[in-house]
Amino acid sequence: MIEAKGLSKRYGDLVAVNDVSFLVAKGEVVGFLGPNGAGKTTTMRMLTGFLPPTDGTASIDGHDIFGAPIPARRSIGYLPESPPLYPEMSVGSFLEYVARIKDVARSARREAVDRALERTALTEVRRQVIGTLSKGYRQRVGLAQAIVHDPPVLILDEPTAGLDPLQIREIRSLITELTDPSKGEGQQTVILSTHILAEVEAICRRVILINEGRKVVDAPIDELTSGGTTLDEVFTRQIARDSAAEALEGTQGAET
Amino acid sequence: MRHVTSVAGRELRSLFVSPVAYGVLSLFSVLAGIFFILDLAWFEQVLLRYQQYPDQLADFNLNDGLIREFYGSMSIVLLFVIPGITMGTYAAEKTNGTEELLLTSPLTIWDIVLGKFLAGALFISLLVAIVGLFPGLLFAYGGPEIGKTASGLLGLMLTGWIYVAIGGLASAITRSQIIAFLITLVALLILLLIPAVADFGVAGSAPVVADALRYLSTQVHFDPLLNGLIDTADLAYFAVMIGSFLLITKAAVESARWR
Repeated sequence: MIEAKGLSKRYGDLVAVNDVSFLVAKGEVVGFLGPNGAGKTTTMRMLTGFLPPTDGTASIDGHDIFGAPIPARRSIGYLPESPPLYPEMSVGSFLEYVARIKDVARSARREAVDRALERTALTEVRRQVIGTLSKGYRQRVGLAQAIVHDPPVLILDEPTAGLDPLQIREIRSLITELTDPSKGEGQQTVILSTHILAEVEAICRRVILINEGRKVVDAPIDELTSGGTTLDEVFTRQIARDSAAEALEGTQGAET
Repeated sequence: MRHVTSVAGRELRSLFVSPVAYGVLSLFSVLAGIFFILDLAWFEQVLLRYQQYPDQLADFNLNDGLIREFYGSMSIVLLFVIPGITMGTYAAEKTNGTEELLLTSPLTIWDIVLGKFLAGALFISLLVAIVGLFPGLLFAYGGPEIGKTASGLLGLMLTGWIYVAIGGLASAITRSQIIAFLITLVALLILLLIPAVADFGVAGSAPVVADALRYLSTQVHFDPLLNGLIDTADLAYFAVMIGSFLLITKAAVESARWR
């Protein structure tokens, strides 16, 4: 469903993302983990086609993100780090606009907007102007714009950042619901980034850990925690080991 | 095309849900009224003075003595109003973060650029329609030439469209609306001053440069339209200018992602 092949992004000498590859199958919920500045947002932006990679490519639902950008983008629901909202528009008209530019057929548009509002529990603020909403509501509008066209792939960049515990729980249960196969919905494939480990444990079945732009771990959560270790321990160890290896590589490079 | 109208529709709706559009429309109407009254007063004074000179009086008419002046004044007003309207075109998308929404949606860059230009052009056409109301009044009390009146209005509208295309480009190259406003204002003032530079600055030393500069000037192509002369060469100038600025805007929007 989502395939990244050797994605790299360099800004001059700075390597933001270095040769990241992975494959996400249909219906999987993958947590994208890493310390701040590890390259999570950059990787996600490359997956959505917003940022062109320096090297490598990605495909969404079989469409190459640069070879066939329009069908690829049609298959993506994307919530960027800060939700993309027009503060002067009302929630309803904003979602209607998003449905239009995401190629939802005219006849299905009203229903699509109603459903997105319902699923994100926004129906009662439908007529409210986005600029007057609280942060939690705005985040939900951001999520609603990502799911309004019922895309097979959801890419969510820190969907719970800056929310209070109650709102975090709401958003998590919403994501769980979106991906629950028993609900009979489209069974969405989800990649979500976060730096909160508990969040990954709560909603994801698999994690990809990146550190300093490189993929360090890519494994199901059960496997990582099978020895009785917590995710927290696993990651602290992995990141420390990775940074040490990097430092060693650096000194060897300097010697030769 | 469907996407172009979607983008344009949202753009216009945003203008009209905020007080900006109404503020601009009412202030613009007031300014148009003031300029019209001033031009009318001046017209009457000249008319009075010409009573003693039948030769000049025969050449003097509503179109050349009043409407032309009025359109000219309003083109200067547009020069100050348009930067304010276009400054947010792309800069606001960047600060709202909606740039990411637009560029990850199944839209082409052209859909975005043309949609935004269409919205601006439609809004300017509304302003020009307000300008048209005033000479419209004259038809009730006098007999201006309808062709000349309309072609001047067309020139004013096309001039406004060029300004919109320039304002859009300025907005596409910066994140700050204030900087976009200033760039546009300065660019439009330079465009206005081009004929003066051509005539007094370089005409003697480099006539070829002067001719080239004159061709670039909007005023030079607006003038024949004010005189009621619709020349395809002038219309082509407006099309080429708008097209070029839209093309550069498209490149600017595209290149923002490659940095």
